[in-house]
Amino acid sequence: MTATVPPADRPSGVGRAAPPRPTARAWARENLFNNRHNSALTVLLGAGLAMLAAYGARFLFVTGQWAPVRTNLTLLMMGTFPRAEQWRVVVQVYLLCAAAGLVWGGLTASSRDRAADADVPFSRARLRDGVRRWWPLFVLLAVLLGMTRTWLPLAFVASALAGGVVARRAMEALPEAGRRAGWFGAGVCALAGWQVVSGTGGIAWWWGSALVAAALVRITGNVRSEARWQPAARLALIAGAVAVVWAVYGRLDFGGVGWDDWSGFQLNLVAAAASIVLAFPVGLAAAIGRRSQLPAVRWLSVGYIELIRGVPLITLLFMGDLFLGFFLPTEDPLSKVTRAIAVMTLFTGAYLAEIVRGGLQAVPRGQVEAAWAVGLSAPRVLGLIVLPQALRAVIPALVGQFINLFKDSTLLSIIALTEILRIRESIHGQREFLVTGIAETLVFVAFAFWALAFTMSRESQRLERRLGVGER
Amino acid sequence: MSLSSRNAPSPVAGAAHAPATGWWRRAGFLSAVGQAALVAGVCLAGWWLYGNLVENLTRTRIPTDFDFLTQPTGFAIPENFGFDPDLPIWRMVLIGVQNTFLAGLVGVLLASIVGLVVGIARLSSNWLVARLAQIYVEGFRNTPPLVVIVFFSFAVFSFGPLPVFPEALDLKLPGSASNWLVLSKSRIGIPSLSAERHTGLFWLLVLFGAAASAGLWVWRSRRHVRTGEPHHRVLWSLGVLAVVAVVAFVSLGGPYDWSWPARSENGRRLVSGFGTSAAYLSLTLALALYTASHIAEVVRASILAVPKGQSEAAGALSLSPFQRYRHVILPQGLRIAVPPTINQYLNLVKNTSLGTVVGYADVTNLTRTSIGNANPAPQSIAVLMGVYLVFSLVISLLLNVYNRTVQLRER
Repeated sequence: MTATVPPADRPSGVGRAAPPRPTARAWARENLFNNRHNSALTVLLGAGLAMLAAYGARFLFVTGQWAPVRTNLTLLMMGTFPRAEQWRVVVQVYLLCAAAGLVWGGLTASSRDRAADADVPFSRARLRDGVRRWWPLFVLLAVLLGMTRTWLPLAFVASALAGGVVARRAMEALPEAGRRAGWFGAGVCALAGWQVVSGTGGIAWWWGSALVAAALVRITGNVRSEARWQPAARLALIAGAVAVVWAVYGRLDFGGVGWDDWSGFQLNLVAAAASIVLAFPVGLAAAIGRRSQLPAVRWLSVGYIELIRGVPLITLLFMGDLFLGFFLPTEDPLSKVTRAIAVMTLFTGAYLAEIVRGGLQAVPRGQVEAAWAVGLSAPRVLGLIVLPQALRAVIPALVGQFINLFKDSTLLSIIALTEILRIRESIHGQREFLVTGIAETLVFVAFAFWALAFTMSRESQRLERRLGVGER
Repeated sequence: MSLSSRNAPSPVAGAAHAPATGWWRRAGFLSAVGQAALVAGVCLAGWWLYGNLVENLTRTRIPTDFDFLTQPTGFAIPENFGFDPDLPIWRMVLIGVQNTFLAGLVGVLLASIVGLVVGIARLSSNWLVARLAQIYVEGFRNTPPLVVIVFFSFAVFSFGPLPVFPEALDLKLPGSASNWLVLSKSRIGIPSLSAERHTGLFWLLVLFGAAASAGLWVWRSRRHVRTGEPHHRVLWSLGVLAVVAVVAFVSLGGPYDWSWPARSENGRRLVSGFGTSAAYLSLTLALALYTASHIAEVVRASILAVPKGQSEAAGALSLSPFQRYRHVILPQGLRIAVPPTINQYLNLVKNTSLGTVVGYADVTNLTRTSIGNANPAPQSIAVLMGVYLVFSLVISLLLNVYNRTVQLRER
């Protein structure tokens, strides 16, 4: 979380003289031509690489027929999302950018405070650092914007990014007390960003009340504040707040587009994100169950985990597509997308369970014994001692699992959901693109996935280093 | 959650309060009741789900038993593999299993080789080699495997808009009329061997040669241990084997001959040589290259996990870089790499199910087609899952046994 305190092991220019930069000649001698084998390899590979690069560049800029992508850009991104409702996505992006900016600003501010406490110099992450870390995302954005025909998308993206930066600045400028409100604001922005698209109907009020309840639990449960709340009063307050939220949501119904109507790249993102969020409790329960001393619980967990991990996702998706609805009494009340997400949740739960189990095993036994010794009850040992340490250690692996799930969301095309790969296929059903640009559309799709997955994996590696997983 | 943890502190709490607690509050009793309730709940839920399933199947007149397995499949597939519409469905499943196995096996072998090479290359002292390996790994690792498979199938082999392959291509041997590579729309032909005469005798002689070379290997090794003179056992054994094989081949008058791939008259089929489908090739290649990127990371991490002093000590003994890897680093590093590599193998085998997208006749694709032919889906999918579970279990069993044999035994 300490986003910008330079760790001691990295030469950051503070207190350590940078080694003199070698000349290009010396560098090449050291790294390319240090012995006969390497010289031969360098020359050979260099020639091959140059040829490949020339070929690639020619494909990208000269011979590549990008018209299928250019013409169908919106289709690829949003699929059949109702065009009249597009404003919802626009508002969503603004809100999510604001939320991301607030979170980023909050992280920067707290690490600045911590650096001040520890009396170490602090250098604030600049936009330049962001570009260096997330350049694939910016390249993807540039490609997308380069293919649009109007200026509107450029203005939109620029203003959304600017909004995020402003939110970050504002969060940083806030005093510590105000920052808590900022964090709450980030939550509200994220929630509103989700609901402006999906609408406030259905069970959406759950999300709102869960957020409010969590905030209230945090505020009223603050041990340090003088006015400690009585449990009954806390419960009443939370119940009342939830009731208010419920009432508000009941009145405030302004339509929306459920995930059944989402498609294109948007569906890939939503399916992956929804599945991993929904799978988390499943995986947590299965992981704890697998380490339980109760044989029934353990065997049930092991059965679930190993059964799911032993079969490919595609067989489970077929199950979801063909007869998942048959397990329920009424005649198939679930939509196709819902069934697919349910199956992906089931699938991811098993993998998350194994990841979380790894984290649980990494918690030293002495921690648990110490917690017993101070007389904590079993749920509290788990909630206060074990899980915080275990989950912190597995965050990078969780990101890795999300990347896998995101890549696996292409499998939805096999059960005829219109995610991006399916849309690509349908593009080549259009008369003018029957045989043109088959490689080009695939390259585009692959690049879109690559840019996001690569950025996430680099961030997770960064996080791993920061958290010092496996080093303490 | 609370169930699982309730008895966790029992050693402490139970010991301290045992006399004062009633039997209904003992950890043992509570855990028994809790588990019984859980099992009962799961059974009830399962029974309810199963009841719904049977009811819904009966309502929609779908059979609820496994009798369909003995019915004829009623469809044909382009690659035939001895497939015909009269075969019962269980035979179809077996053919699918065989195809899955074929793709998985070749994929695993290829992925291991490429992964090992790339993993070592990532640590090369040559900047260009290390960078290229890194680009390879990061490129493949972050792309969906399905996209890679589709790319190979559609962009490389079938349509060839990458202008490497025109629509149909025959590459001739220089100065002859024989092709060494034939590419047509969906088939790829390479030369193969055709049996002419005395093949059994030939292989018998080769077997003798192999036995002799194994004996030589042992002799050279022992001699090396006894006297310390260089063993050169690879040279000796392979040399003897090669000499025996060549002599046998010549003296038997050529038991095998090349069969060069050639196109049939309408140009759609291959009449000789070894033909493989583009679907198989694209699936196997794509999966191998994709999984290799993961294996390369495993290999790299394992090599880095070998203490640096080992490599330095080997250098101090003036071992060459190859010897350093062969005798010091890899034996220790690959031992660490075995468990994560098992996972990658399992992933690859499970990913062969993606061949259904490019029309490879693996078990998933065949099952899907048979469900399309009005065979009951739940039972078919159950059989399919069973097949993959057996695959996973067998692979992890074999490799775990192997893992146990190579792991370091600590005191």
